[in-house]
Amino acid sequence: MSKPKVAFFDFTGCEGCQLNKLNFENELLDLLELVDIVEFREAMDDKAEEYDIAFIEGSISSPSCVERIHDIRRRSKILVALGQCAVSGGINAIKNLHPMDEVQETVYGKDKYLFPSIPAQPVSAIVKVDYEVRGCPMSAPEYLHVFKSLVLGRKPEVIDHSVCVECKLRENECVLDKGMFCLGPITRGGCGAICPTNGQYCIGCRGPVSNINKNGAVEMLKKHGFSVNEALKRMKMFSANELDKKIEWGR
Amino acid sequence: MNDVTNSKLKKLKQYAFDKDSTLKFIEFLMQKTEVIAPQNKGQASYSYEIVKDAKDVVLDYPRTIQPLKKFFLPPVEDLLAFDLNANTYQEEKIEAKDKIFFGIHNYELEGIKRLDYSFKKGNPESNYLTRREKSMFIGISYEPDSYHFSESVGIPADKIDGFCLFFDKISNKSDYMVFVVDENGQKLIDSFGKVNEVKSKAEITAKKFQNKVKLHYNRIPQVFDHVYKSKVWDKVAERCVGCGTCNLLCATCYCFDVRDEIEINAKDGKRTRFWDGCMLNTFAEVAGGENFREKLNQRTRHRLYRKFKYITDHSGELHCIGCGRCSKYCPADISIVEIINSLIDDYTTQQKKN
Repeated sequence: MSKPKVAFFDFTGCEGCQLNKLNFENELLDLLELVDIVEFREAMDDKAEEYDIAFIEGSISSPSCVERIHDIRRRSKILVALGQCAVSGGINAIKNLHPMDEVQETVYGKDKYLFPSIPAQPVSAIVKVDYEVRGCPMSAPEYLHVFKSLVLGRKPEVIDHSVCVECKLRENECVLDKGMFCLGPITRGGCGAICPTNGQYCIGCRGPVSNINKNGAVEMLKKHGFSVNEALKRMKMFSANELDKKIEWGR
Repeated sequence: MNDVTNSKLKKLKQYAFDKDSTLKFIEFLMQKTEVIAPQNKGQASYSYEIVKDAKDVVLDYPRTIQPLKKFFLPPVEDLLAFDLNANTYQEEKIEAKDKIFFGIHNYELEGIKRLDYSFKKGNPESNYLTRREKSMFIGISYEPDSYHFSESVGIPADKIDGFCLFFDKISNKSDYMVFVVDENGQKLIDSFGKVNEVKSKAEITAKKFQNKVKLHYNRIPQVFDHVYKSKVWDKVAERCVGCGTCNLLCATCYCFDVRDEIEINAKDGKRTRFWDGCMLNTFAEVAGGENFREKLNQRTRHRLYRKFKYITDHSGELHCIGCGRCSKYCPADISIVEIINSLIDDYTTQQKKN
């Protein structure tokens, strides 16, 4: 049996998730035993025509991105969105909260007409996405889980519980009890609560749990001393596309 | 305090312990076996840990983050290791080990009793029951804070059966009156030797609970017969964000999920189980993606019915011990006592109408 052909592509993003993959020094060689990596700009120059699994990093934020992602989808059996930009638009989608003209002007000044831009979209807004690996940067254990599962022909587990669950499993002292702010109660776990475990608070980089109670979340943050505006701003940092649809909540 | 317990208490032998003899007693226990006791955790929290130095033990604490169940049903636990190529598996070996739990509040031991019931019934859960063997518990009294409501669920301050010894704090001092509850306790005291029996029979100090359920605990299951369609569930669901903290830290919640993970060599793997909870999204999801309890109001209702009705109908006991963890650690400040009291109001209004 030939090894599955795997490719990695980057769109609008910092390429941090791709870099993250090269950091698996312990697992990298074992991974290469299982698959043929046929495209990976961050690490190699080769190109291929078809892929068994395509991993996509970054959001879709320009007209040329749209063409390119359609092309990749046509040539891929399984397509996985990698990291929060690809999954939800991520931090890029903050620009969607401002007028497009203003955003382009700020970044490119008078040359803005040379750089056509569209609102930052998740990959799933353009083509069918089979699986997701959330997080900014993507969570390494979750990526390995999805990678192994797909290579072995299993369906990866989709995590849809809060970061709180993972803090409680580790018996972390609650960040809220320390007087910090935390988005853990409404943010999707899968990261092993890495930030609260290491003395930080959760900033919601993995996006909200699937059935998020938006009003409840704003009320919760208000109880912890935040204004409605501040609460919304914090919640939308990584999740503007997911959360901005109903701007009235909490008001 | 009820009379039965009271007269029983009077028959128990009592010993006076001061701060120093308490410390020495912990050291004495540590020489015998592994001792687990509450210790500081983080800036203002507590957790049960294996005692390395008797001085680390904290005797005045409101509650720990995780309940005592973590020693019998670990949050994450490997069940077996398998080999895909050879098609074989090896179960994890669990051995019963002598353990003494020191400084345990009485509701916490009641929680363990509830779990014993749940895990013995039907198919006995062998990993839990093996770990549970050879455990001894030494209790301690506590000052109820605004979250404790044990008395309202039938666990008053003087409920001490199941402990081998019980340390009752003498007000405002670091001295304790120690009650010998069973023969194991007496053996420990006798071999420790350094303390004197007290002949004047004291009682366990009664405690004032600020947090209270409006009705007698015997009537709570009755209330639950009438409030399945109550609006209270919707009200709670407006504030609940479904984080699952209440489930995970509950002393009597025992649900778990099991997951197989394969190593990167695509050959070896492990089956792991970890705490799960009925407030979480995927808990009631079945193959095909159908979810039997999609909404947070259904989930909160289910959680409370599990505590006050469903298992109670079989076991005759409430499966809530009033530790207050679900409310203390709820990021949305939802109080279980408030929910029950609102349900009682609902029930009373219904009763008046009919």
